[in-house]
Amino acid sequence: MRRVTLDGLADYARGLLAACDANAAAFPVLSRVDLPGLGIDVFSDHGELATALAHGMATASLAEQGQRVRIFLAHPGIGSIPRPALWGEALFNPHMFAERLEAHGLRGNYFHDLHYWQFYDVERRLGVQLMLSADGCPPWEFGAPLRCFLHWEYAARGMRLTHAGTLGVGGRGVLLAGAGGAGKSGTVVSGLLAGLDSVGDDYVLMKLDGDRSMARPLFTTLKQDPAGFDRLGLARWLPDPGPLNWQGKHQFRVRDVCSRGLADELDIVALLVPRISGAERSAITPVARKEALMALAPSGIAQTPGERESGFRFFGELTRRLPCYDLALGTRGDEIAETIAAFLDRGIP
Amino acid sequence: MGFSAIYAVSSTDIVYETFDGDAVVLDLASGRYFGFSDSGSCVWEALIAQVPPASLVGRACGGGELSADDLDAFVARLTEFGLLSLAPEAAASALSPDLAGRLATAREALRIDMHDELADLVMVDPIHDVDEPAGWPVVKQ
Repeated sequence: MRRVTLDGLADYARGLLAACDANAAAFPVLSRVDLPGLGIDVFSDHGELATALAHGMATASLAEQGQRVRIFLAHPGIGSIPRPALWGEALFNPHMFAERLEAHGLRGNYFHDLHYWQFYDVERRLGVQLMLSADGCPPWEFGAPLRCFLHWEYAARGMRLTHAGTLGVGGRGVLLAGAGGAGKSGTVVSGLLAGLDSVGDDYVLMKLDGDRSMARPLFTTLKQDPAGFDRLGLARWLPDPGPLNWQGKHQFRVRDVCSRGLADELDIVALLVPRISGAERSAITPVARKEALMALAPSGIAQTPGERESGFRFFGELTRRLPCYDLALGTRGDEIAETIAAFLDRGIP
Repeated sequence: MGFSAIYAVSSTDIVYETFDGDAVVLDLASGRYFGFSDSGSCVWEALIAQVPPASLVGRACGGGELSADDLDAFVARLTEFGLLSLAPEAAASALSPDLAGRLATAREALRIDMHDELADLVMVDPIHDVDEPAGWPVVKQ
């Protein structure tokens, strides 16, 4: 079994990318994913991951000429793709791993438990995800396929995969940022059920365009734990929601509960930091930008490998340009949605 | 600690942003975030602008004065966290009028808060530090 060290890391990455390129014709499935400013040709095998890719990605409906990217979801059962190597005996330091690759124009990620590697050549816009089998990826990948590749490609263009939910009315929207359990997902689902728009929950694409802060959709997935699922009455739309995901949550898609689907984009006018208050009614009050940054940046930076400093700068700039508010969540979803709609309607800020 | 010495940000892994006078620092190498009280933000900004701590002693701060002991303890915390280190070659700067004014109107004592809740996700060695049966991201205790 090959062992990879920091010194051999870039060569290993380049070797894998070359092997995938040489075996392109052997991949059973070729899918096209159209995202904002990005057309991705995904070479894969059949399986759950290919299904997630076909149904879990947002589709850019605005006519735009995007950059072309090729991603290979590879495993040793395809052509002459090699078995994944293992990390060597040295300590694995994620920061040094990222730095070493960046010095060679590469980005990467390694998940030891599954012998799972991801590499991306920024200049060639070529990526590989090497697994032991067709669906041999970490369980969270099924909810947000290609997440790391999107992070690296968009970061190279000054945009950012952002760990936040969104809600909006009439093209104007709010970003909902906070750690897991803060109430982001329940708020987004409540808003969708009440007729508000969204460009996504969990991960959205943020672009700073002049004075505007634009959010656009990447994934169509929504998640709710069983308690939230019951509280929001989602069985009405999903009588047979299927098995719980790796987090013990129901996973479904926006169109399962909202026929109009995701909005094309939202002009983000405020950053809200939700928290479960226990009070009957919701309340929106100003919060210090420092607190808002701490709600927005850490999870987004921790969950996406590499580009940490550029991420901190981006989220700093985003926080600086948006008015920031604490959102004390009431107990009823429809009331929360009304509060956010009224907030946007009043023209605040 | 060289109390009358000059300090600088200890490495390029230390990045920071300031919002309305509140500084937030991220250590890219450790994944730890740091926040400050209002007076702490002022002193942090002064120190990274190469103002010697000694020149801050006795400065007006929140209706009182900065004491040598408080500054000494604060600088020790910053160096202990790896945010600042001695910069023997650096030339001393004077405290800007803006920072002096903000310091005088600060309302909180010198304080730095560390947030390392997500540091494990950023920095733990996911091969050698992970609980064996549970796997990543459960950290070996």
